[in-house]
Parts: sequence; C-alpha cells; structure tokens
Amino acid sequence: MREPLVRADGLGRSFGNGEGRVAAVTDVTFSVNSGDRIALVGPSGSGKSTLLQVVAGLDRPTSGSIGWPALGPRDDLRPGMVAIAFQDPSLLPPLTVLENVALPVILAGGSEGEAVATARDLLEIFEVATLAEHLPEELSGGQAQRASIARAFSGSPRLVLADEPTGQQDQETAARLVEAILTLGAIDDTTLLVATHDAAVADRLPARWTMRDGRLVTEALTCSA
Amino acid sequence: MLGLTWLAGLLRRRTGRMAGETVGIAVAVLLLASLGTFFAASRASMTAQAVGSVPVDWQVQIRPGADPAKAAAVAAAAPGVSATLPVSYADTTGLSSRTAGTVRTTGAGKVLGLPPGFAATFPGEIRFLVGAHDGVLLAQQTAANLGAGVGDAVTIGRPGQSALTLRIDGIVDLPSADPMFQSIGAAPGSAAAAPPDNVVILPAATWDRAFSNAAAGTTSTQIYTQLSHDLPADPSAAFSQVIGGAKNLEASLAGGGLVGNNLAARLDGARADAIYAQMLFLFLGLPGVIIAALLAGVIASSGRDRRRREQSLLRLRGADPRRIVRLAAVEAAFAGIVGAAVGLVAAALVGRVAFGTSRFGATTTQAVVWSGVAAAFGLVISTVTIVVPAWRDTKTLTLRGAQSAVGSQLRQRPPVWARFYVDVICLAIGALIYWQAVRSGYQVVLAPEGVPTISVSYFTLLAPLLFWIGTALLMWRLGSLALRRGRGVMGTLTRPLAHRLSGVVAATMSRQRRSLSRGMVLMGLTASFAISVAIFNTTYASQSRVDARLTNGADVTVTTAAAAGLPGGTADAVRGLPGVAAAEPMQHRYAYVGNDLQDLYGVDAATIGQATSMSNAFFAGGNAAQTLGTLSSTPNGLLVSEETVHDFQLQPGDTVRLRLQFASDHAYHVVPFTYVGVAREFPTAPHDSFLVANARYVAQATGSSAVQTVLIRTVAAPPAVAASVRRLIGPASGATVNDIETQQTITLSALTDIDLAGLTRLELVFALALAVAASGLVLALGLVERRRTFAITTALGAKRRQLGGFVWSEAAFVALGGLVLGGLGGWWLAQVIVKILTGVFDPPPEHLSVPWAYLGALLVATILAILLAGAGMLRSARTSAAAVLRDL
Repeated sequence: MREPLVRADGLGRSFGNGEGRVAAVTDVTFSVNSGDRIALVGPSGSGKSTLLQVVAGLDRPTSGSIGWPALGPRDDLRPGMVAIAFQDPSLLPPLTVLENVALPVILAGGSEGEAVATARDLLEIFEVATLAEHLPEELSGGQAQRASIARAFSGSPRLVLADEPTGQQDQETAARLVEAILTLGAIDDTTLLVATHDAAVADRLPARWTMRDGRLVTEALTCSA
Repeated sequence: MLGLTWLAGLLRRRTGRMAGETVGIAVAVLLLASLGTFFAASRASMTAQAVGSVPVDWQVQIRPGADPAKAAAVAAAAPGVSATLPVSYADTTGLSSRTAGTVRTTGAGKVLGLPPGFAATFPGEIRFLVGAHDGVLLAQQTAANLGAGVGDAVTIGRPGQSALTLRIDGIVDLPSADPMFQSIGAAPGSAAAAPPDNVVILPAATWDRAFSNAAAGTTSTQIYTQLSHDLPADPSAAFSQVIGGAKNLEASLAGGGLVGNNLAARLDGARADAIYAQMLFLFLGLPGVIIAALLAGVIASSGRDRRRREQSLLRLRGADPRRIVRLAAVEAAFAGIVGAAVGLVAAALVGRVAFGTSRFGATTTQAVVWSGVAAAFGLVISTVTIVVPAWRDTKTLTLRGAQSAVGSQLRQRPPVWARFYVDVICLAIGALIYWQAVRSGYQVVLAPEGVPTISVSYFTLLAPLLFWIGTALLMWRLGSLALRRGRGVMGTLTRPLAHRLSGVVAATMSRQRRSLSRGMVLMGLTASFAISVAIFNTTYASQSRVDARLTNGADVTVTTAAAAGLPGGTADAVRGLPGVAAAEPMQHRYAYVGNDLQDLYGVDAATIGQATSMSNAFFAGGNAAQTLGTLSSTPNGLLVSEETVHDFQLQPGDTVRLRLQFASDHAYHVVPFTYVGVAREFPTAPHDSFLVANARYVAQATGSSAVQTVLIRTVAAPPAVAASVRRLIGPASGATVNDIETQQTITLSALTDIDLAGLTRLELVFALALAVAASGLVLALGLVERRRTFAITTALGAKRRQLGGFVWSEAAFVALGGLVLGGLGGWWLAQVIVKILTGVFDPPPEHLSVPWAYLGALLVATILAILLAGAGMLRSARTSAAAVLRDL
C-alpha cells in the first residue's frame, strides 16, 4: 500500500510586493507517494529549488495548500521524515565531515555512537570516508556535495529531497552517486524527489516532472515508480 | 559616482550593519569627548576655586628700615596688581578689660592697623559680628577671653610704653587668621604656626598714634596685594605665572620686601590635583575608551564575512582592488563621520548633564583639539575596522575563501604574543613595578611646595597598563586553551544545556574558539573596567566620608580656640542630649618640639574611640587598639608624626622633651614625655605634624585641665544633634559646633579634592552600558555571523531546544568566563589603581569599598542582555531560516 506523503493543491510561492512581486511557484498541484522516485527538471529559475524548500517544510506557500498526510505536521517533518540536500554544499563549517553527517541522527534522538556508525557507513557509500575528519572548507565542491547527500540520508528519512545533487560532479562520479542514491532509497524504501538539470540523472528516475516559469507542466497527479 | 551608488545601496540593503557601525563609533567618540569635558571642567574649576578662595593674593612683608610708602608704590605698579593696601602689625604684651567689677587679662597678642576701605577691598579677611564696622574692633575669641563687649574698655599693653585704653566699637571674626598672621620669610617651623588668640584691630590713624614710638622689632608693615586674576586655566601654568610675578616684585623691591604668596600656595595644591585628574583620566577613563573602540571594532567587523563576499563578487565583475578599497573607504567615511558627529553632539549633552558644561576644553583651542581628536578617533576606528581588512582581503582572498574562516582559525599558529608568553611577561613586569612602588611608599605625583615643576612617576603607571594588557591577553589564552584542550570537559559542562548534543556543541565551540575567546575577552575587559571603576569610585566616596570625619573629628564636634577651653561639664551635658551616643572631651594645645610648634591633643586613650572612629590607618603598624592601649598604659606616653620620628631619630621608649604653656604664668616650660608610637592621622588634627598624649598627664603638667574640643558620636542626624548642642552651650561660649554632613559637603568641594561626582556618574553609566553591549551585543553579533550555520541546523531538523543548546552553551562560556576572569581582574586592578593613586585618597583606605548594589545591577543587566540576545537569536534563527536557505 503506497501512502501519500505529500499533497499540494494550487500551491504558490511568491516574493516581494506590488510591482516587484516575483512568483517563484504558481498554482502547483501534485502528490508524492511513498516509494516514488521523481526527477524534477526545468530551466534555471523555473522554481525547482523553491518548490523543494516548500515540500521540505522549510518555507511556507503564499497561496494554495500543502500537507504531509503520512508524515505528520510541518514541525515534525525534520529530522526523521524529510531531509534535504541543498544545491550548494551546506555542511556546517565548525564540524568535521563525520560530525556533519552524524548530526541528523543525534538531532533525531540517536546516541552519539549510533550516529557515528551510521555516518561512517554513509561516507563509505558516498566515497568520502577518507575525508571523515576533515573540515568542510578542506573539501572540493564535489566532495562537499557528496557529504551533504550522505547527511541527507543519515537520519533515515522517509522522503529525501535533493537539489542538483550532481551539479559539481564529473560524469563518472555523478553516475556512481545516482546509483548510490537509488540503492539507498531502495534499501530504506526512501522516497526521492530530485531536482536536476542533468538528463542522465533524470533518465535514471522512473518519473519526471517538468517545471517552467513556476508551473509544473508535465506532472502526473500521482506518480508511480 | 559609483561610491555614492554603493553607499546608497548599503544604506538601503545593509541598514542594520551601517547603523551598528555608526552607533559603535558614536559611543566611542562620545566617551572620549565626555572625558575631555571632565578633564577640562576639572582643571578649570580647580584654578577658579583656588583663585576664588584666597582672601589676599600677596602679603608683602616690608623689611625693617625700608620705606613702606615706596614699597607700596612699587607693589601697586607691578604687572597684574589690581589693589594694594598697607596693614600695620604691633605686638601687645597683653590685653585687659574690666566687666562687672572683674578684671580679665590675656596673654600676648597682636594689634592691627587697617586703612580705610580694607574690608571692602579684602572681603574675606574680616566678618563683622556685632557693633560698628570701623573704629576699635575686637576679635571674637579675644572678646570671649576678656568677657568684653561693644562699649566696654580694653587696655592694650605696649612693649616699652604705657598701656593704652580704648573703647570697643565692634566685635569681628577673622576667618583667614592663619595667612593674616603668617611669618613671611621665616624658615618652616621656626615661627609660631598658630595665629594669636588675642587680636585688636585699630583704624590706621589710631594705630599710627599708638605705636609711633614703639620699641624696635615690635611693629611691622605688610602691603596686602590683590591681583587681577587674569590667569591661565591650567593650575600649573597659573602657578608658574603667579610665582614669576612675585619674584619680579621682590626684585623690584630690591631687598625691601618679601612676598608671602598665598595665591601660589593655593595653586600649588591645585596643580597636583590637576595632575591627579589627568591620572584619573588615564586610569579610569582610557580603558573605557579602548573598550568602546574595541566594541565599535567588533560591530564593524561583524559584517566582515558578508563584506568579503560582496568584495569577491565585485572582483568577479571586474572591479580592481583599488576600487574595492575605495568603496570600503566610502562606507568607513560615512560610519566615521556620522558616528563622530553623533558622538560629539551626544557628548555635549552628556557634558551639560554630568559636568555642567558642553565645552570639550578649558579654552577654545583645547575644545577644538579635544573634539578634533575625538572625531579623528572615530575615523581611525572605522578605517582600521573596515578599510584595512578590505585592503588586506584584496591581496589574498578568493570567493571560496570568503565563505569560511573556521579552518583558517584552526590552521593558524598561535599568535606571536602567545608563543612568547607576552601576557605572562606583562603581568610579571607589572607586578614587579607595583611591588617596587608599594614597597618604597612612593607618590605618583610629586609637587614639592614652591617648586614650579611637578614630577610624575610615569614609569609606575606602567604597572596598571601592563596588568590591563596582561589580563586581556591571559583571558584570551585561558579561553582558547579551555576550548582547545578542554573539549571533553566542555562537553560535560554543556550537557545540562545541550543534552545529547553536548559533544557536537563542544566540538563547535572548540573550532569557534577564536571568536568565542574574543567575545569572552571583551566581556571580561568590560566587567573588569566596570568593577574596577565602581570599586575605585566607591572607595573614593567612602574615603571622602572618612576625610570629613577626620576633619570634623566626629559626627558632631564642639570646639573653641580659647585657652580657657569650653565651659566645665560640657561633655557631660552633651551626653544627656537626645541622639547622642557618646561624647568625649579632648584637649587641644600647642607644644614646641625643638623649634617646631605643633598641635598637641590630650585624650583619654581608653575611651576616645567611643566618640569617633579610630581607624587602623591612623597609626603606624596599622593597629589602632594596640597603639591606643600602649598610650593609655603609659601615663606620659606620646604619639608623634612620622616626620618628627625621622627628624629627631626617635626610638620607642625615648624621652621627648616638649615645651608646653603653663596656666600659672602663660610661659612655655619643658615637660618630659615618652615616645610610644606614630600617629599618621587623628580627628581634627592637621595633615602634617601633631602630637597625641594622655589628657590627664597634660592637665597635671600644665596646671590646666581645660578642654577645647568635645567629640560626639550620634545616633540621630548629625545636623539635628549639632543644632541641639548649639542651643545647649549658647552663643556666649564662643565655641563652634560642626557636623559631619556639612563638613563632607565642604570637603568634596574643597580645593584639594577632585570632584569625581560627574566622572563617577559618567563612568558608572558607561560601564553598565558597555557591559550590556559587550555581553548582549557581542554574543548577538557572534550569533548573527553564524546565521547560516543556524539556518542549516534548523533545516536539518534542530528543534528550538536543540538550537538553544548551541546558543546558551556559547553564551554561558562567554558570560561566565568573562565575568569570572573580568571580576578577578577588575578587583585586582582596583587594588592596583587605589594603591598607585594613593595621593588622591586622604587618608589612604585600609581596604576597598565594594558597591554591591551596583555590581548586582551590573550582573543582572549583563545576564538580561545575554538572555535577550540569545532568545532573539533563537527566534530569528527559526523564523529567518528559509530566507537564509534560499541563498544556498
């Protein structure tokens, strides 16, 4: 039985007022069910990142509505239910890579030992295990991005949102990264919503939504893996 | 043009940053300019007070054989002289008067001959009490001694001539008897220090007739001289000018006269006070200015990361380094100029409220220089904190480098000062200088009487300066060390606040050690400043009360200058008054120690402490009970001043032969005493030399048990008790009754005391404001710098309580570390400053006075500021996370 994790109805998000008002997302209706693997594609500035932030519960819509029927109220989404990997590496500067990846587990109430063990496994999977004790600023853009994705998975969330996860990877690494994401998703039964420009990445995901000028133009209302 | 566009953009988009920078600079300028106002106001008021309190500027003693009229003409023609009048002096062998069938006689005295218009020209010399304002006038004390009044006859004994009988026209008070009867040109100690008890004043013509045939050496003439008082505001410069003028007059008189320079004597004290005011500025004000500047710097540099990113973007868009620096200079110029202007306007207002003046200097030039320096200071702060980092960044920074500073903090080697232990060296050298200074009992300001130059031991000032620097650096070292090495301990300590996150919080704090240590040092320095200033000021105020008590003698004091003393049984009668806890009689006589005439106090050593405070600081060895016990158990025991011990090479147990006036023949006779200890201060005693003995022995030796003083301890308001004592003894006794509260008002406004009230108010308010700013603002700015970190942590799912773990752990580290280390540093600095500025205190304090209420308020204000900053940051971290994250 596939549960509806996210349901949006006529959702919109705009910034500013009056003439300076910019509509980043306009009248979007969709549903994400457990087990979905969705590629969210579209040109730059089409509203993909904004939509991910609203879905993650980090931002609120300015029109329409959004709910997380199977995940709970917005305030309980993170940590544990939803995790997001940002477009730019967003590791916490004062923490090592290992500590960064372990943090969501601790925030979710896990012990430090459990968190570190999980983090080491994930760093191994995302090929940054050798950098575990390094600080974020000592990493390349690609390495930091892989560590960020590892962190997104560390709290065993039911829904992972990834914003351009391969934007700073070479083609070969990007392919392995997507493979790792899909494998982890399959093992943990994690639902994936991945915003990307990369056709190769989009092709690996069974569903594809396209955004243009803030609107979802090719989405299916419900999508199946 | 680009500069203006850039500035407009900053004002629109970076309003908070610009406002913060401007306000920070304004506060630093405000404090500096306000201190300038204090400095100027105190100096100018010292000179004004000195000049205003001198009844006669110069008394020119005419040498025997010189022509008084010619000397008067020379004096009148001297530069700066506004008025001259000759005053004649004659000795009298004694006075007598018959009233109600009884003839009363006095000992030797003086007969003055005053020219017409004297009282109007020198209004501070004579106060008319009863009867006519001219004719034959009798001094109040003399009238009391003779029991004579207006209309009675007084007979004046003339050496070598028959006595002269005149009718009394009025009774007067001579408030400035000391300078009036001073011995001009006599070696110190070789002439009587006390004014005569018996004085008759005659019109000049009457005096001339009475003493035209006086025996040689029994009369003299002085030219009383008033100056125009067009003197420099600075007491030192005024002193030099007045000394120079007097020497010039003496040279013009060609040996015909000597100048008794009363004005210079007053200015002499004022110039030392002016230097002390300068010291107070250095010790109490400058640290505040430096802290304000540091705070302004912290505020300005809090936008550094964002500024770096903006500069990197500018560079990416083709701006060359010079243009980037110019744009930073535009921001700095705006913050500096507007901040300085706001600071100066605010300082003028604060000066008006605190010091009663809006001027920043005693003269226009000083005012311009001070305001210029304060404004330039603001510009320097903005340049150093905005332009210099921008210029440095253009040489090294990349966009990526601009995004993180944590690793660079960690990779950096310890600073040079830490590697070479400059903090420890500063503290050690400071301690050495302090120890040396205290051991040698030095005075930071030495102003030898009559010598134009003042010696200031600037070297000793290094002690507090080195302590200050050493303490700041040591706080930094300890903070960094605790965060670097004590991560495990920190994890344990933060567990109550951060719970499961304590390990992560400790790791974060360890890697943020530079900014946390910076915050802690600022917090510590501010606490140290506030505590040291508050303790110093409270100790100063407390000592002024002690000073008032010393000067007044007790809560209420009854005194008479009459040799016959107060009416018998006065002390017993006073004891019966309501509000009186204790009353003790005290003799006040004069005794010759060699050629030196000193005040002698006869007391009951066992009971004197019941009526007034006998501080340990009054006695060498620091034990009042023991010293008074020794005196009490040695009937002919004597306490003398340190100067006397030194001059006469006395050892405890030595016999000291004093000459005391006997009641039987009014002549001085030798009385043996035993030296038993040293008295540095004593109620009502002068500051220099005096003697303390057992009253019983003095009475027995001189044949007179007359008591000149009664010291009273009150349990009611001293002015009220003083009023009832006045009613008790009546006006006829000739005694005066003073209370400590009135005396304290006089002491605090006296020439030799620097009025710290304005400076105290200013500093205590600033210290509080700086403490609040350093705790709340620095914490808030530190947290704002890491807005992105908190936003990411929020995105990862940190709840408010978990974010609080980070915020409150850091706040606790900064606050506790700063308050504890700053508290210790402040207490120690107060100790050092009080010791070094001992000359400001009279008498030196036995211990520091701690203003618990103020310190409590400081603590509460600091904690509140921290709580507000932390809570505000937590709220903002949760609500603004989305906005911050949109940039990711």
